[in-house]
Amino acid sequence: MAERILKRPLYIIVGLLSAAVIVLLLFWKPTVVVYGVQRAGLYAGIALPMALILGIVHIVNLAHGEFMITAAYITYFLCNSFGMSPFAALVPVVIVMFLLGMLIFKFTIKHTLKAPELNQLILTFGLAMVLTQGLNLIATSQPRKISLDFVTSSATVGETTFGTYGFIYDLAAVLILAGLLFFLRKTKFGKAAVAVGQNPRGARIIGIDVNKIYILVFSLAIALTGIMGVLFLTSQSIFPLAGGSYTMKSFCLVAMAGMGSLPGIVFASIGLGIAESFIMSFQGYGGWSNIVFFALIIIVILIKSFKGKR
Amino acid sequence: MIKYWKYILIAIILLLGVLFPFYAGAYQQSIARTVLIYLVLAISWDMLLRSGQLSFGMAGLFGIGSYASVLLLLRLGASPMLSILGAGLVAFVVAALLGILVLRLRAMYFAITTLAIGEIFRIIIRNWSSFTGGPEGAILPNIIFDGDPVLSYWLVLGLALLAIVLSVIFQKTRIYFALTAIRNNEVVAKSSGINIFKYLVIVFAITSALQGMAGGVFAQTYGFVTPESSFSADYILLPIAMALLGGIYGTLGPIIGTVLLGVLAEYLKLYIPYGHLIVYGIIIICIIMFMPQGIVGVVRSKIIRREVG
Repeated sequence: MAERILKRPLYIIVGLLSAAVIVLLLFWKPTVVVYGVQRAGLYAGIALPMALILGIVHIVNLAHGEFMITAAYITYFLCNSFGMSPFAALVPVVIVMFLLGMLIFKFTIKHTLKAPELNQLILTFGLAMVLTQGLNLIATSQPRKISLDFVTSSATVGETTFGTYGFIYDLAAVLILAGLLFFLRKTKFGKAAVAVGQNPRGARIIGIDVNKIYILVFSLAIALTGIMGVLFLTSQSIFPLAGGSYTMKSFCLVAMAGMGSLPGIVFASIGLGIAESFIMSFQGYGGWSNIVFFALIIIVILIKSFKGKR
Repeated sequence: MIKYWKYILIAIILLLGVLFPFYAGAYQQSIARTVLIYLVLAISWDMLLRSGQLSFGMAGLFGIGSYASVLLLLRLGASPMLSILGAGLVAFVVAALLGILVLRLRAMYFAITTLAIGEIFRIIIRNWSSFTGGPEGAILPNIIFDGDPVLSYWLVLGLALLAIVLSVIFQKTRIYFALTAIRNNEVVAKSSGINIFKYLVIVFAITSALQGMAGGVFAQTYGFVTPESSFSADYILLPIAMALLGGIYGTLGPIIGTVLLGVLAEYLKLYIPYGHLIVYGIIIICIIMFMPQGIVGVVRSKIIRREVG
């Protein structure tokens, strides 16, 4: 009980403090906030499907970022060989990723659902390596990029000029979040999925086809990472190893938000995004920006550890 | 009688291992050195796994050890042997501190954090150019033992034997029962008076020291470190695949797996220069799905079945 009473004011204090920091930054370094929010969209878009898998299928998918990069490579080859625009490639890529998710779930993950958690972690780690090294084998480790002229579009507000294309990640993240919340709260299938997430055995007893829910939710999540993969390719250069850090960042965000809280991920992403872009705004220290993630993961672990939660 | 044969067999293998440089060529020796380094990583990974904690930190600790030994030698003028011990000590301290932070949490938090250590130290080393040499890495003025292959082979062999002996000790003493109890049922272990946290931190620190020393030995025998090669994902993926193939939760399994896969790795590297690691990923997936007990487990269950039936 005491914990619950303490919790609410703590959240309000943290929220107010971070809002104050953001407002201060907005006056001091407006571009930091803009680019931070753009990064946050990318992080949230990738972390949301991971939270979906963790919340419903109860699997920590260590191949998450690698799926995203795989989608980016598929898009790259579609664009290169058929001269497609990446946005036209969105539809085939999402379908392909959905099927890929289905296949991988059916042939690998499904068989370890009843095994100890260690086996699942090692399995998805193995999947991550197969994806990364498969890309390495097919496409070599050379970085690839497609150039689009509208990516460099910019806007000027007052005295500051900033790139506007990055907001597409925020748009995608908001759409994914809204879509998932609608799906989980309003549709029959989504409600069944939530029930499975809360208690698989109970769900099975009341007649829900748990295996069908698992496979569809997993494939849906992989398809969503496919969307982020397509968008990722439009503004960044890709190489096979690029996915790994997104797996770790996604996990960190999911852990920060508390397992299973989807809106929490958005706030956590904004924090991570702004902190990273704050460090990047100092000339010559850009390489250190990834250290923020380290600090965050340690803080998360300390908090969890003191709460005594598993 | 069977017991005597076991010891004689061990003695013969040991003798063959020690005398290896006298009947094998330079190429075979360099393969053997690599295999033995992986053996240290695979056994130390398995030692921690016996307590139910999954670590992906081998690459990180290996890299920390490599850099620690090179920097101790370059910046503080330590002798190569001393710098290898120093590498073990640095890895021990890093792991103990991290373990105290993380080991109160279970499975996935620990796995992810250990995966992050390598990443974090790589960032620090890449960016702290004035001290570590930055992205280009650092080169030693002189290779250990002036590049004598026989002595450096024995050094690696000595480290591998240390890992094997520690692993056997872990299986024969109290600590083994404590760790197995933790893995099987933590609540029961706790309520029978085992100080879970203390044991986990000790084991994590010791296995990390082994990994750090492996990194130190590697850096000293090859004479250079770079952020990319010293923290390579190879050092996570290969030991896991090796230990899984041989059979986890024992000393023999990782040894068998390492020798089999280590020799295979050299041939794969020749035929598939890009992405030969995909084979290890596939091995990991297949073993987890079809043969989680590994070669040793399969053979053992066959023997037991024959004795019973």
